[in-house]
Parts: sequence; structure tokens; C-alpha cells
Amino acid sequence: MFLRLVADSFTRRPRRKVLTAAALSLGMTVVTAALSVSLDVGDRLAREFRSLGANLVVTPQADSLPLEIGGVDYRPVNAGAYLPEADLPKIKTVFWHNNIVGFAPVLELSVKGMSHFRDDEKGLPENRMSWPQVSLIGTWANHPVQLADQTTWNTGINKTNPWWHLMKGRWFEDNALECVVGKNLARKRGAFQDGQRIFAGLAIADNFVIDRGPSSPPIFLKAVGILDSGGSEDDAVIVPIAIAQQFANERGQYRKLYVSALTKPEDDFARRDPKTMKPDELERWSCSPYISSIAYSIKQVLPGTDVRVIRRVAEGEGNILTHVRALLWMVTFAALLAAALAVGASAAASVIERRMEIGLMKALGAGSGTVGFLLAAEQLLLAFVGGGIGYSLGTNLARLVGQKVFGVKPEPSLLVLVVVLALAAGVTFLGSAIPLRRASRYEPAPILRGE
Amino acid sequence: MPSLRSQNRLMFWRIVRRLLGANRGRLFVILLALGAGAAVTAALLNLEVDANRRIAAEFRAFGANTIVAPRGGEFVAPSDRTLSEGLLNRIPRNYEGAFVSANPFLYVVADVSTGALRPVKAVVVGSSAMGVVNSIAPKRKFNGGPMIWDGTNCVVGSAVSSRLRLSGTPLLRLTLGSKEINCRAIARLSTGSAEDNEVFANLKDVQTLAASPGRVSLIQLLVPGKPAAIDRYIAELKANIPDVDVRPIRQFTEGEAKIYGRISGLLTATVAVVLLLTGLCVMAAMTNVAMERKNDVGLMKAIGGATRRVLRLFLAEAALLGLAGGLIGSAAGILLSIWLGKQVFGEAAQPRLIVYPVAVALTMIVAILSAYPLRRLASIRPASVFRGEA
Repeated sequence: MFLRLVADSFTRRPRRKVLTAAALSLGMTVVTAALSVSLDVGDRLAREFRSLGANLVVTPQADSLPLEIGGVDYRPVNAGAYLPEADLPKIKTVFWHNNIVGFAPVLELSVKGMSHFRDDEKGLPENRMSWPQVSLIGTWANHPVQLADQTTWNTGINKTNPWWHLMKGRWFEDNALECVVGKNLARKRGAFQDGQRIFAGLAIADNFVIDRGPSSPPIFLKAVGILDSGGSEDDAVIVPIAIAQQFANERGQYRKLYVSALTKPEDDFARRDPKTMKPDELERWSCSPYISSIAYSIKQVLPGTDVRVIRRVAEGEGNILTHVRALLWMVTFAALLAAALAVGASAAASVIERRMEIGLMKALGAGSGTVGFLLAAEQLLLAFVGGGIGYSLGTNLARLVGQKVFGVKPEPSLLVLVVVLALAAGVTFLGSAIPLRRASRYEPAPILRGE
Repeated sequence: MPSLRSQNRLMFWRIVRRLLGANRGRLFVILLALGAGAAVTAALLNLEVDANRRIAAEFRAFGANTIVAPRGGEFVAPSDRTLSEGLLNRIPRNYEGAFVSANPFLYVVADVSTGALRPVKAVVVGSSAMGVVNSIAPKRKFNGGPMIWDGTNCVVGSAVSSRLRLSGTPLLRLTLGSKEINCRAIARLSTGSAEDNEVFANLKDVQTLAASPGRVSLIQLLVPGKPAAIDRYIAELKANIPDVDVRPIRQFTEGEAKIYGRISGLLTATVAVVLLLTGLCVMAAMTNVAMERKNDVGLMKAIGGATRRVLRLFLAEAALLGLAGGLIGSAAGILLSIWLGKQVFGEAAQPRLIVYPVAVALTMIVAILSAYPLRRLASIRPASVFRGEA
């Protein structure tokens, strides 16, 4: 009988039910869409922020002070410490290896070099001492790293310095005698010295010739690309790190390592010194992808290094991420509130309207409890249907927004479904409860008389 | 005749008043739904206008975004290229209503010592307190308390500090050739970049040390505003001062442009979706309420009301409700957005007056549209309503 009454109420006045359900599902669509976007946005934005490049830098612990002005290190080549390149794959074995987007070792030095359009020494200025000093940056361009699970993973300077663009050409191959030329060196310009044109500009397919002292023949590097970095690298030649190592006489060594990692914005807890933490706190700290805990875990696999956070990148990112996230949660909260109030109002209206029916049922001997239970069951049924429809609509909408803004669709989350259904039920229930309570106090007779 | 018309009008408003006052509970429910919609509309519109500007301002946390440097000569070491300090006066400080912070820096390699240990070679940077705070370490506390930096003090990078084993606020001696200056190391700076290896001292002193009075190595600018505005500023500066190299710090300007686009796109999309759906949701709820007036429509028609006049009555009622709900809700919404702005950005969002009438108008439109389905009641025969059919 109970079920029959409920079913009857739905079939008898379909339009009213449809309207209430529409309000409910629209409200829940808002909630689902806003919740999905807010839940997803932290990870997406953190990924976007990697366009700022590396947020960690690794240097030798025992290093002398770098004397860097305008991107050029004025230390002699033999000053300072180096780190072994062979250790680098270990970075992808740390607990947070999935958060490490890229890394690239760097070895910089200054060499005497010339541009030359031929592949042999013919036509090169004889006096090699007069060749200009050019800074050489050895690094990885697209370097395969063997991972523990036997797969390879490519990383390089374009991951840690994404604002470096190739104006022309391609990056060098790791083991080839090739180089990429900074755009200022590539510019065709003539400087005359002793009546001789030096450094005529390095176009693609020209050679960059590096002096190796009077006793050995110079090395020829084929220019394969032109770099636009907007910084001091525009005046440098970028080469595979093996070539730079050869000139520095430091085989398999590097001087500086840039790491770009996905992180969680730091809070007060993250800034504490891990040495002062209790064991459970240390566990919680190292299980959150804070920049400091990632730095800590890298330091543990690369002994003898200093892993420093590039504060400018990490803190700027943290500030903005925290604010944007908070902003979106506020929008979600506001949407939730509005949807809840509108749906509650709709539920309340549908109960008020049925006073007549309530009066009749009570006149026929139904107790307040039975009547309340019947109406609540109806409303809950409606809430679940509306909530379900709203969830599927909202998920699609969130995917649309995600696709438009980030090019990636957010994954539908079960958590959102649970929250949405609970909210729908709660809101309709609260919305109906107040008029129902008033209805239970009604005397049937005046209602039936239409008073 | 005029008196009849005015009587008609009187009657019209009297009925409207009665319609509104007839059921307090119903009135409350409607105002709640409309008010909530209006509040969210006003809050989001206000926040959206404000947040885009605010997020652009957030990017200031990255520090300087533009560099003015001497034009690169043929293979001249960067340490030997300098600019005249007078160039600072040629850089416009006010751009599109915002303040452009410009700070000169002079770099020189010198010996740094405390007298106790062997001197260490380090890069000494001549600057000002404002220069370090604005360009390098915005929004940051220094290790050693707030930075109070007058002419005789200096700030030491963390790597230099640990190399010299500094503690407290020792007096440092900076020497280059025969020149020597002294300063008190009052604070440590840790940035994770080149600054860790540098000592920041007063610009005038470092110019004396380097024997190049009136010269600076480069000027760092913090240009505020949205990415497009920064590009415009750089283009103008390039045209105004052609003999130097003006370049954006690409790492930040490019990243900013990309991230700013994403964030503002996300915000706009979310706000648009929420507004649209909230409107529809309120409309559905209101239509639900309006359908309840079937009996009233039937009665009015039964005693001779023309369909159009009856409909006008209900639309007038809806418009009034929309106005009331909108006025209350939008005011609440603007207060809400001020509070939200304070929570998110630490300072209250400025209320935009234009938002208020827009939100009220939108609410009225939603209210009127949601009463419109009553039009269909025109075809209802009064008798069948009273019999409880349909």
C-alpha cells in the first residue's frame, strides 16, 4: 500500500515531479561541476606551473663559491667540485619519482672557438690565440634514462628550462659532434680584427670549431639548431655534456643539476626542520610532496650534494596555487549554497502545495509519522533520481570545462557522487522537514474545508 | 473615465499586495530561492571582475620580470659592460596606473673577509634595500628579522655566510685591488639561486669599490599588470631607450602568460557555468511555486478576469518578488564577495557598483521568466480547476 501510494503520487502529477526533479538535478549539476573542477584543479595547475621550469638545484657540497655574473662563471675551470653523471638515474628511484617531471645536468666552461663554413681546417684563422672566448654549456637535450622497471624515460634541458625555444633546426643528438647556437652568436655580423673577419655568425650546417691547444687538431661541431632563451644563453653554444666534459677534463662529471618536480604548496608544517620531527610527523612530512621533502629524498640518493629549493619559483608558485585553489573552493561553496537553497525551496513548495492531501490522509486515520514518512520517502526518491541525473550532467560539464581550459578531462570521482547524493538527500529532506512539521500540527478538518 | 482607470489600478495593486501577503511561508520560500540566486550572481560577478586583476598582481611574487642591460658587445665579458645610472630617470615609473619598480644592480668580484679567516672571493652586488626586496625576494622574511638596511649594512647570501662561518652581525671587509669598504652583515639571504653566492651592499659603496662611480651593471624592473600590459611596456621602453638591451625574464613572463591564461579561463568558465545553472535551478524552483497558483487563476477567471489581466497580475507579482529578492540577495552577495576576497587574497575585494544593478536585473528576469508558464493556464477552464481536475 505504501509503495502504491508513492508510485501513485508520481504518476498522478508527473509535471510537478518533473519540475522538482529538474530543479534538483540542475542544482546538483552545479555542485558536481564545481566540485569536480575544484578537486582536479590543484594537480592540473601544478603541472602548468612547471612551465616555470626547475624548482630544485643540486650542487656539490664541497663546491667553491661560484663567481657568476650575467650567467658567466668567472671561476677557473679547475676550481670547484664536480658530481658524477652516472648517479643521476637514481633520482628516478626516490619515493617521489613520479613527481619528478624532468632533470638535466649542466657543465659550463669557456673555450676559444670560431665559426667556420667548411668541414676542414682550410680557411680558418691560423693564430688560434686570437680566437674569441665563447661560453660552452654542456647538457642533455633529449637523454634516455634507464628506469628500474627496464623502461626508458627521456629528459633534458627543455624540461627544466621550458622557456628555451629553438628558433630553427633541432636539438643535438647526445653522442654526436653537434651543437645548438645561441641566437646572438647565430646572428650574421662581422667583427674585424687585424683585417680578418672573426666569428662571422653560426648558421645551421656551419661548424663551430673549438681549439684544443697547439698540439692537437681542433674539434668541429656541426650547428643543428638556433636557441632563443631570452637570457645569457643566447651568447653561448650548447653542446652534449660529453663534449663539455672532454674540454673540462672531467669525464662523466657535471657541476649543477636542475630538477623540475610537481609539488604541493608549502604550509607551516612543511617548513619545519625534519630533524626536529617526531617519527609519525616525519612520516607524514615525507609522504607529502612538499618541495622540501622531495629535496630531502634527492639528497639521500645523491651523496655529497646540496639540494636547494629555487625559492623564487617554488614560493611564487606556492602563493598563487594556494590562492587560486582557495578561490575556486569559494566559488564551489557559493554554488553549493545557492543550489541547496533553491532546491530546498523547491522541495518546500511541493510539500506546502500538498496540504490538502495531508489533511485527507490524516482524516482517514494516518498518523503524523506515517504521513511524514510517506512524503520523505517520495522526496528521497526524487533526490536520488535528481542527484543521479545532476551528477552525470555535471561530470560531463566539468569534462567540457577541463577540456577547454587544460586540454585534459578530469576523471569522474566516486567521492563527488557520494557527496552529491548525500547533499541532494539532505537538502530535500531539510527543505521538506519544516513545512512537514507545520503540516503535522494541522487539524485535518479546516484544511479539508479549504481554510 | 480617469477615475475608473485609477480605481482599476488601485485594485490591481491591492490584489498584488494580497497575493504577496496571503501565505507567509510561501513568500519566505520564494525570497529564499531568488535571494540565494541573486547573492551568488552578485558575489561571483564581483569576484570575477576583481580576481582577474588580483591574480595578475599575485605574479609579483616572482620578483623582477624585466631586465635593462647594456647592449652585448662583441665578446666583451658581461662583468665589463656597464650602464649609466642616469638611465634610471628615463624609465617611466608609472604605467597604466600601476607603479613600476626599477632597481639598479652593480656586480663586481671582490675579496670578502671578517678578518678571522682567509678572505673568500665572492660576487659583491651593489644595490638598495628596496632593490633586494622587490626584485629578488618579494614577500619574504630574511633570516635575521625584517630587513632594515641603511648605507652601512649588507646582506649576505647563505653560501657565502656558511663559507665565512658568519654568526651574529659581524663587520665584513670587502676589498678589490687597493680599494676597500666595510659593512655590517645584518641578514642572510637564501634563494636557491645565484644570490646565495653573493654579498649585497650599498650601491654607492660598491661603485667606489669597483672604481666606477655612476655606473651599474643592469637595472631590474618589476612591471605589474597582466601579461599583455608587460609586453606593451617592454615594447615602449625599447622604443624610448634604443641604445640598451631591454628584455623580459622569459622564464617568468612566459610562464606567467600561460598560467594567467589558464587560471582566468578556468575562473571565467566556472563562473559562467555556475551562474547559468543557478539561474536555471532557481527558475525551475520558481516555476514549481508558480504552478501552485492554478486555483487563484481559476477563481479570477471565474469572476470575470480577462486572461491578459490575470496574467499581468501574476507577472507583476513575480517582478516585485524578483526585485525584493534581488535587492536583498545582491547586497548580501556583494558583502559575501568582499568577505571571500579577504579570505583568499588577504584584502577585501572592491565592490563594483555596476554589479549590483546587473544582479538585480538578472534576478527579476529569472523571476518573470519562471512565472511565464502561468500563461498556459489561460487555456484552463475555471470549472475544471474547481472540480480539482487537471
